[in-house]
Amino acid sequence: MGNALFIVWRESAEAMLVVGILYAWLRQRPDAAIGMRYLWGGVAVGAALALTLALVMLGIMSSLSGNALDYFQLAMMLVASGLIVQMVFWMRRHGRTFKKDLESSMARNASAANWWGLLVVVALAVGRETAETVVFLYGIGAGKGGIADLPIVLVLGLAAAFATFWLLQQGSRILSWRLFFRVSEILLLLLAGALLVSGIEKLIALDVVPALVDPVWDSSWILDDSGRLGGLIASFTGYRSRPALLPLLALAAYWIIVWMSLGRSSRTSAKAPAKKVAAPVADAARAERH
Amino acid sequence: MKSNQFPWRGILLAALLFAAPAFAAAEPMFKLVARDGAFTPAVIEAPAGKRVRLEVSNEGKTPMEFESRDLKQEKVIPPGGKGTLTINAMKAGEYRFFDEFHEKTGQGKFVAK
Repeated sequence: MGNALFIVWRESAEAMLVVGILYAWLRQRPDAAIGMRYLWGGVAVGAALALTLALVMLGIMSSLSGNALDYFQLAMMLVASGLIVQMVFWMRRHGRTFKKDLESSMARNASAANWWGLLVVVALAVGRETAETVVFLYGIGAGKGGIADLPIVLVLGLAAAFATFWLLQQGSRILSWRLFFRVSEILLLLLAGALLVSGIEKLIALDVVPALVDPVWDSSWILDDSGRLGGLIASFTGYRSRPALLPLLALAAYWIIVWMSLGRSSRTSAKAPAKKVAAPVADAARAERH
Repeated sequence: MKSNQFPWRGILLAALLFAAPAFAAAEPMFKLVARDGAFTPAVIEAPAGKRVRLEVSNEGKTPMEFESRDLKQEKVIPPGGKGTLTINAMKAGEYRFFDEFHEKTGQGKFVAK
C-alpha cells in the first residue's frame, strides 16, 4: 500500500510541479483570467492524453504498432524539455514587465502566442506520467488486492498530489515573490534537464544514437538511481549512478547554454532595475486586495 | 560555401542504413517472463560487448513496466502482452532491471561476461 501510494505521488509530482508553479505565477498577473483558461485547458488535454496513452499501453487501443509508442514518448519528452526551458525564459521576461506589456497591444499578442505553449507544457506534464499511473492503478484493480484497494490508493494518491500543489501555493505566499520565482526556475530547469537525459537514453535504447561510453562511472554506492530516493532524484534532475557518455555530454551542454542565457537575460533586465522590482510587488499588492 | 563541404552527414547516414540490417541478424535473443512481480529467469547471462535482444512477455494478471536505468530501458507491457527490447553492447558486469509496478519483488539482472 505504501509503495503504491509512493508511486502515485511520484508520478503525479512532475505534473503538480509544472501546474503548481504556473498557477502561482499566473495568479499574480493582471491577465490571470485568460492564462488560467489555458492552464486548465492544458490539464484537460493532458488528462485526455493520459487516458489515451494508458489504453494504448494496455493494448486495448493498439493503433500504435511496434516502436511507434516509444517514438511518441520520446517526442513528448524532448518537446516537454524544450518547452519548459522556453516557459522559464518567458516567465522571466514577462514576470517583471507585465504591466508595461499590457499597455501595448503588440506585446499582448506576443504573450498570447505563448499561451498555447503554456497549454502544451501543462498537457505534456499532466499526460506523460499520469498515463503510467493509470496503467499502474489498473494493475492494482486487477491484482491480488482486487478492486477493494483501488479507491483507497486513488483517494490517498490524489490527496498526496494536491498536498504538493498546496505546498507550492503556500510557498508562493510565504517566500518572497522573487525567492519563490528563483526556486521555481531552478526546479523547472532541473526537470527539463532530466527530461533531456531520459530522451537521449530513449534514443540510445531505440538505437538512433550511440551511447559512446556506457557506463562512464558507477556511483551507485553513493546514491543508487534504482533506489527510492535515488530514483526520485534521477527523475527530477537527470542524475544517473551509471551514466552513458552521450546523455552526460548533452546535459553538460544543456546547462552551459541555459547558464549563459540566464546571464544574458539577467543583464538585459538589470538595465531597467526599477521595473524589475516594482512591477511584481505592485501586482502582488493588487492581487491581495482582490 | 556549403556545397563545397565534404558530405559527412550523407555518408554517415548511408553507413548507418546499410550497417543496421547486417547487425540485426547476429543479435542473440533472450526471453524473460514476468508474472505479477516475479521474473523468470531472474538472472540472465549474456555475452559482453555484443548487442542483444530481450523479449519480455507478461504472463501475469497485471500490467508491468520493465525498467532498467543501468540499461536505459523503460517499457510498459500489458497482461498477456509482449515487448522486444534491443540492448546495446554491455561491458562485463551486472546490469539490474526491475518491474516498476511490482518493485518489491520484481527484481532481476543481466550478467554480462
